[in-house]
Amino acid sequence: MTRKAAIVGGNRIPFARSNKKYARASNQDMLTATIDGLVARHGLAGEQVGEVVAGAVLKHARDFNLTREAVLGSQLSPATPAYDVQQACGTGLEAAVLVANKIALGQIESGIAGGTDTTSDAPLAVNDDLRKVLIAANAAKTLPDRLKLLARIRPGQLVPDQPRNVEPRTGLSMGEHAAITAKEWEISREAQDELAVASHHNLAAAYDRGFFDDLVTPFLGLTRDDNLRPDSTVEKLSTLKPVFGRGEGATMTAANSTPLTDGASAVLLASDEWAAEHKLPVWAHLVDAQTAAVDYVHGGEGLLMAPAYAMPVMLARNGLTLQDFDLYEIHEAFASTVLSTMKAWEDPGFCKEKLGLDAPLGSIDRSKLNVNGSSLAAGHPFAATGGRIVASLAKMLHEAGPGKRGLISICAAGGQGVVAILES
Amino acid sequence: MGTPVVLSSPPSMGQLFAKAALTARGRGGELPGTHLSRVAVAVDPAQVADYAEVCRFRFGDTLPATFPHVLTFPLQVALMADRSFPLALPGLVHVRNRVDVVRPVSVTEKLDLEVWADRFAPHRSGATVDLVASVRSRGDEVWRGRSTYLARGASAPVGEPTDLEVEIGDVAQAAVWRVPDDAGRRYAKVSGDVNPIHLSGLSAKAFGFKRAIAHGMWVKARALAALSGRLPESFRVDVGFRKPLFLPSTVALSTGQRDGGWDLAVRNAKAGTDHVLATVRPL
Repeated sequence: MTRKAAIVGGNRIPFARSNKKYARASNQDMLTATIDGLVARHGLAGEQVGEVVAGAVLKHARDFNLTREAVLGSQLSPATPAYDVQQACGTGLEAAVLVANKIALGQIESGIAGGTDTTSDAPLAVNDDLRKVLIAANAAKTLPDRLKLLARIRPGQLVPDQPRNVEPRTGLSMGEHAAITAKEWEISREAQDELAVASHHNLAAAYDRGFFDDLVTPFLGLTRDDNLRPDSTVEKLSTLKPVFGRGEGATMTAANSTPLTDGASAVLLASDEWAAEHKLPVWAHLVDAQTAAVDYVHGGEGLLMAPAYAMPVMLARNGLTLQDFDLYEIHEAFASTVLSTMKAWEDPGFCKEKLGLDAPLGSIDRSKLNVNGSSLAAGHPFAATGGRIVASLAKMLHEAGPGKRGLISICAAGGQGVVAILES
Repeated sequence: MGTPVVLSSPPSMGQLFAKAALTARGRGGELPGTHLSRVAVAVDPAQVADYAEVCRFRFGDTLPATFPHVLTFPLQVALMADRSFPLALPGLVHVRNRVDVVRPVSVTEKLDLEVWADRFAPHRSGATVDLVASVRSRGDEVWRGRSTYLARGASAPVGEPTDLEVEIGDVAQAAVWRVPDDAGRRYAKVSGDVNPIHLSGLSAKAFGFKRAIAHGMWVKARALAALSGRLPESFRVDVGFRKPLFLPSTVALSTGQRDGGWDLAVRNAKAGTDHVLATVRPL
C-alpha cells in the first residue's frame, strides 16, 4: 500500500548575491538557520521527525555529514536521523522526492527536505600535485624520506584549485552550454529578457502581497532576495552586453542568466495523519516524480535539456497531458533554458525523434508559468532552489483550492533533470 | 544611580590596559558610582562571524549568547582602568561570570550598553568586585552580565563576602577539545581582550603565570556553543572559573541535563583539574 506524501510547510532564508550579505555564512550556518526557522514556524522544537534529507552542491570536505550536523545544531530532537544528497541543481527537489517516497511507503511519517549552497564560502582544494606529495610524505616511514618528498614541492603547487562552474567533461561553463542550446532553438534575446522581467515583477508582487510571509525567515539583515529588481524593464535589460556565447548571435546576458547566489531552503513533508495530529494544513501532495539524463558530451543534446525527456515519461505514467496543470514551475537557470525546453515540447520533430512521441506535448499557457517569480529574480543557490519551488508551488496550489495540479521542472549539471507533479 | 557617562565610541583596549598598568600603584578607596554607557550600538556582522568561528557558534541571525559580553567588555575595562577605580587592573582574576539571556538578540538590533561596578566585598585572600553589564534594545533589557573579579592582597570595606562557588551535579564526558597554543591570541583578536596573560608564555610569565592561559569567557562560550539548539529561549548561565587552563591543553567538556537546563564542567582531560564549572537554567 502506498499513500501520497503531503507538503505541509516550508521555509527558506532570503537568497543573497554571492559575496554580499551572506559572505561569512557557511552552508551549515544557513541550513541550520533554515531548519530552525521551519521548526519555529511549525512548532517542532524538540520533535523527532522521521528523517532530514538535504545537500549542497559546493561542499567542504569537513561538511561530509552536513545535514546531520545541521540537525544536531538545530532545535530538532538530536534523535532525528539525517543524510546528505547531491544531484547538482536537482538536489533540493530530489531530496523532497526521497522523503516523499519513504512517507509513501510508510517507512517514515514526517521528514524535512532541503538544500543549501554558498558561492561565497566555497571550498578551495589543495592543488592535486601538492596533495599527492603531502599524502606520500605522511605515509613515509623515515624523516629523510619525508624531507625528500617535501623537497619536491614547487611554488606552482601552492596555488589552490578553485571550484569552477564548468562541466568536467566538456570544459564549458553551464552558461556556454546554455548558449549553444539557445542558438540551436533560435531563442531570441527579446524573449529571454521578457521572461526575466516577468520573473522580477512576479516575485516582487508576491512579496508585496505577503505571499512569502510564511515561507521566508529574514537572515543577517535580509528580508527579501537581494537579486530582486522590481523596477526591471525590457528596455533596461536590452542595454546589457551578452556574457555567454559569441558574436552576433549571442543573446545571454547577466540579467537573463541566474547570478551566483547564497541561500538555503527546507520543506516539511508528512503523512496526512501526521499533519492532522500536528494541526498542520496539507498544502498539496507530491504525486509523482521522474528523473532523466542526456548525453550532452557525445550525443548532441543540450546540457540542460534532460527535463524535456523526463516529462513525457511522467505524464504518460499518470495519464496526463502537458496541458492538464493549473500552475507550472520551470526553474530559470537561464531564461533561454525555460524557453528552449518549452519550444522542444512544442516541436513535432523533437517530440517524435528524440522523445518517441506520436504528437508533440504541446504548449504551456504562459500565464500559468512561474507566477510568483523564479530563479532569475530570486537567485539560484544551487541545492536550495528545489525547496524554494516545492514549498511555493504547494502553497499556491493550496490557495487555489482542492484538486489543483502543479508541475515542476528542474535542470541540473551533468545533463540531468528532475520533474515532479504536486496536487492540492 | 551613579554618575552617567556616555561614550560615543568603544575605548581602545590596548591603551586602557597600558594606562591601567601605569596607574596600578596607590589605588584604594571606594567603588566609583560611574555608569559608563554607549547608545544605539550597531553590531558588526563580520565581528560576530569571527567570534562565532573562534568559539564554535553557528553564525546566524541570533547573537551568540556570550557575544554581548564582548560589546560591554571595553566599558568594563575603561571603568577599571580609570584612577577612580580602587583596584589595580593587572592581576585581577576573573573568578565568576553570570550571563542572563533575557531573549535572543538579533544581529540587526541597535543596542544600548551600560556598565557599572557593584558588590565590593572582602575575600579570604583579598577583595572581590563585580562589573555589571546591562544591554537594552528599544528600552527593554535583553541581556545582563555580571563578572566577578578577585584582587589578591587587596582590601575591601567590611561586609558579606561574595559567593564564588558554582555547584554542579553529576555530569558525563561529552567532548574532548584540543586547545592549541594560540587559543588566547585567537580569542583576543575577536574579543578585544588583549590582557597579556592570555597572549604568550612570555607575557604571561610577567604576571606570574608559568604559561599563557585561556580566556575564561572563551571556555564559557565554547561550552555554550556545544549546546547550540539545546538551550531554552531565555536562560541564565552561571560559571565559576577554577584552575587556569594553561595553553596548550587537552580538556574535556562534561554535561548533564538538570532542572530544564544543564550542568557543565570543563576539566583537564588527564588530571581532571576543574577549569570551569557551570549551570544553565531557564529564566
